[in-house]
Amino acid sequence: MKGSIFRLLLLMALLAAITQAQAVRADSGTPVLLAAGALLLCGLFAGKVAKGMGLPRLTGYLLVGVAVGPYALGFIPNAGVKGLELVKGLAVSLIALVAGTELHLGLIRRVGARVALLCAAVCGVTFAVCFGATFALKPVLPFLSPMTVPQALAVSALLSTVVVSFSPTVTIAIVQETSARGPFTEFLMALVIIGDLFVMVAFGLAAGITRATFGNGLDLPALVGGVGWELFGSVAVGCLLAVAMLLYMRGVNRELPLFLVGLSFAAAEGGARLHLSPLLVSLAAGALIANLDEREGRRIHQAINQAGLPVFALFFAAAGAGLKLDALVTVGPAALLLVALRGLAIWGACRKFAPAEDPRLKRYLWMGLISQAGVTFGLAALVSRTFPSFGPQVEVLIVAMITAHELVGPVLTRRALLGSGEIRAEEASGGA
Amino acid sequence: MQALLVFLIVAALSLLASSRSLLDPGRFPALAQLAASGLLFLIFGALLGPSVLGVLTPRNLESLHPLVALGLGTGGVLLGLNLEPRLLRLLPRPVYAAALAHAGTAFLFVALPLSVPLLLSMGLRPLVAVGAAALLGAAASLSSGHFAVLGYRNGRLERARGLGVALLTMMDDAVGLGVLALGLVLGVTGNAAEGLGLLGLALLLGVACGALLAFLTYSLKDLAEQTTVTLGMVALVGGAAAYLRLSSLLAGVACGATLALMGGRTAERVSRALSRVERPTYLVLVFLVGSHIHARDLSAWALLPAFVGLRFLGKVLGGTFAQRLTQGVLDLPPRFGYALISQGGLALCLVAEYVLLVPGSLSQRVLDVVAVGAVVNEMLAHGAFRQVLAAEPRPSPMRDTPPTGDAGVAA
Repeated sequence: MKGSIFRLLLLMALLAAITQAQAVRADSGTPVLLAAGALLLCGLFAGKVAKGMGLPRLTGYLLVGVAVGPYALGFIPNAGVKGLELVKGLAVSLIALVAGTELHLGLIRRVGARVALLCAAVCGVTFAVCFGATFALKPVLPFLSPMTVPQALAVSALLSTVVVSFSPTVTIAIVQETSARGPFTEFLMALVIIGDLFVMVAFGLAAGITRATFGNGLDLPALVGGVGWELFGSVAVGCLLAVAMLLYMRGVNRELPLFLVGLSFAAAEGGARLHLSPLLVSLAAGALIANLDEREGRRIHQAINQAGLPVFALFFAAAGAGLKLDALVTVGPAALLLVALRGLAIWGACRKFAPAEDPRLKRYLWMGLISQAGVTFGLAALVSRTFPSFGPQVEVLIVAMITAHELVGPVLTRRALLGSGEIRAEEASGGA
Repeated sequence: MQALLVFLIVAALSLLASSRSLLDPGRFPALAQLAASGLLFLIFGALLGPSVLGVLTPRNLESLHPLVALGLGTGGVLLGLNLEPRLLRLLPRPVYAAALAHAGTAFLFVALPLSVPLLLSMGLRPLVAVGAAALLGAAASLSSGHFAVLGYRNGRLERARGLGVALLTMMDDAVGLGVLALGLVLGVTGNAAEGLGLLGLALLLGVACGALLAFLTYSLKDLAEQTTVTLGMVALVGGAAAYLRLSSLLAGVACGATLALMGGRTAERVSRALSRVERPTYLVLVFLVGSHIHARDLSAWALLPAFVGLRFLGKVLGGTFAQRLTQGVLDLPPRFGYALISQGGLALCLVAEYVLLVPGSLSQRVLDVVAVGAVVNEMLAHGAFRQVLAAEPRPSPMRDTPPTGDAGVAA
């Protein structure tokens, strides 16, 4: 671990020197590639350091991103971090593709109903608690205080649907990293994925109602059509993607990792343009392949393991670098209150409603549901774009919450998997 | 969106370029040859760029500069890795003299005459016009040895002769890089001392990154981690140079050369890791260079025949000089100059770098002439190489098919 720390410090010294040199130069070029290289290298070695300390690699990626990013040491300019948006979509697609290959019909039949029920309970309780708290904070939240009661109720509901969301990205990345396997891990993964489907539907409805309270009228067909397109369109496109992958694997079968990275990139970018969910597109593709041809599903899993390290290290380090620490200061108290209430609600709901036959679910499941990342970021940005009058302030509050959740979430998820006893022995020791 | 567009275009072209039925050398020899060399991507880039169909706008191109910097950085590191000091020391002096002869003759044949129209047509300061003409000369001095390599692999050229050609075409890279460095020293700031300082900074950055890359990969055993560190450092060296507005190509060369100097397993590992992304990166770079072409610049079209013709003469004559200089040292084919007509990818890297660092109408014209010239030279090279083969005592029956395969990166 000392070697990794020393290497990380050397990298930071080089970045500091580049920053100094840039200060001397009158003009500067594009920082995007610098950001990519720096975050990739720092992320990799920070991940090794974190693992040496018994933490998830992902926490190392995030923390080093925060450290070298524009809001702390400032080695990487903000424009550089913003230029890495493409990588975010790619990583989410790759992670979802791997997750999809785990979704076998047998698993869905085994735990599907129980997961859906628990998910509805957890999301419902968390939504109710956050909704009540947000509305109660109306006098102190600057964007809520001038609104009428119906408007404030609608915006509270909208914000709460975003706050409820989980992070399949973080959960699956930690499961991948720790090679965890077993019923608890399956349950957790299925729950975060189904939870996000719930959130997508709820968000579409809440956004439509909010629009109506601000005088734009409730366009029910458009609302249902939008939500339906996002869900069923994503699944349909995912199925097409699966067919393309199978054809490639059976016909060409060369450079599979490179092909999957390229296809996931196209799915992420194309899906975003078509108002589809990149997560659902890749998830559906992975699930279809795994259920049609299990051998090919395993090959995809292995190929992404080969190509995934740079993408994941870059994605999470960039996510860390993009965390607005100053936002945490501005809306800190309200955000921290909501973070605490969300955590309590998830804990309480899991204790109360988790299936009794596996006591690990009651004890540890809540820890795996705390993380928030890509989906929440995306929804917050959507609120900001859709409601320009108050959306940007809502976004700041949500980003502040994500900051807290990103820092503690991966550690808790790892602890949950560790507590469940489903992490492989050498990973559990936190060595290497 | 533009990144997705470029990705989809490059993916579609890659599929097209790998389709044997569509690009059968027997049916469409020119198309097959351009696809194999990667220059088909340049043509499509030009067609989709702002000056023809306008699918990619100038703003799109600007936001894709990081990809150009990545291509230049990767190319530079690969080039630097080839500068293995142990092998370079083993080469006898006549080999250096021969490389200088064929590169220098083409350089002079192009740079001297073309400085006159550049000076007269654009109303520039003499030094600036000479700098641009020198860059045209540098691009002209470069040759690709892929025809020779494929020739001996196909059994149409003796192995020793094929390798001799490849060696001399590799060594002209130094002339091109030297002139690029000079052009940037004179052109980037207009102040030679400051330009020299920036060149030094680019080289220092490359050396620091190379040394650090060697140290970082030294203890890594996992292949995925080695690849990640290599890709990260290549992005860092190209990206830092682009951020500081230095030459990504030269910084990359310094990085690769530092690694080569350290030698051992590290250089091998880096080379192996980069070889997996070399071809896609090169094709994206070529496509982007193509999309930067201003196809409606009539002055560039007017300069083109002179550039191609003078380069051809310079290479044929330079080849004769090189043959004389290496008699008894290197076994070169008769009509060696005709084997040097293909221009290769480094010429495109040089002009792309020049346009990024010294933006303006002059550098744009240099890019237009060299990029279109590369396509014309590639077409000429096929016929010219037949002359080489015709004069060659045949080791095996000659096949009338143009070479195909991964020839584009050969520079």
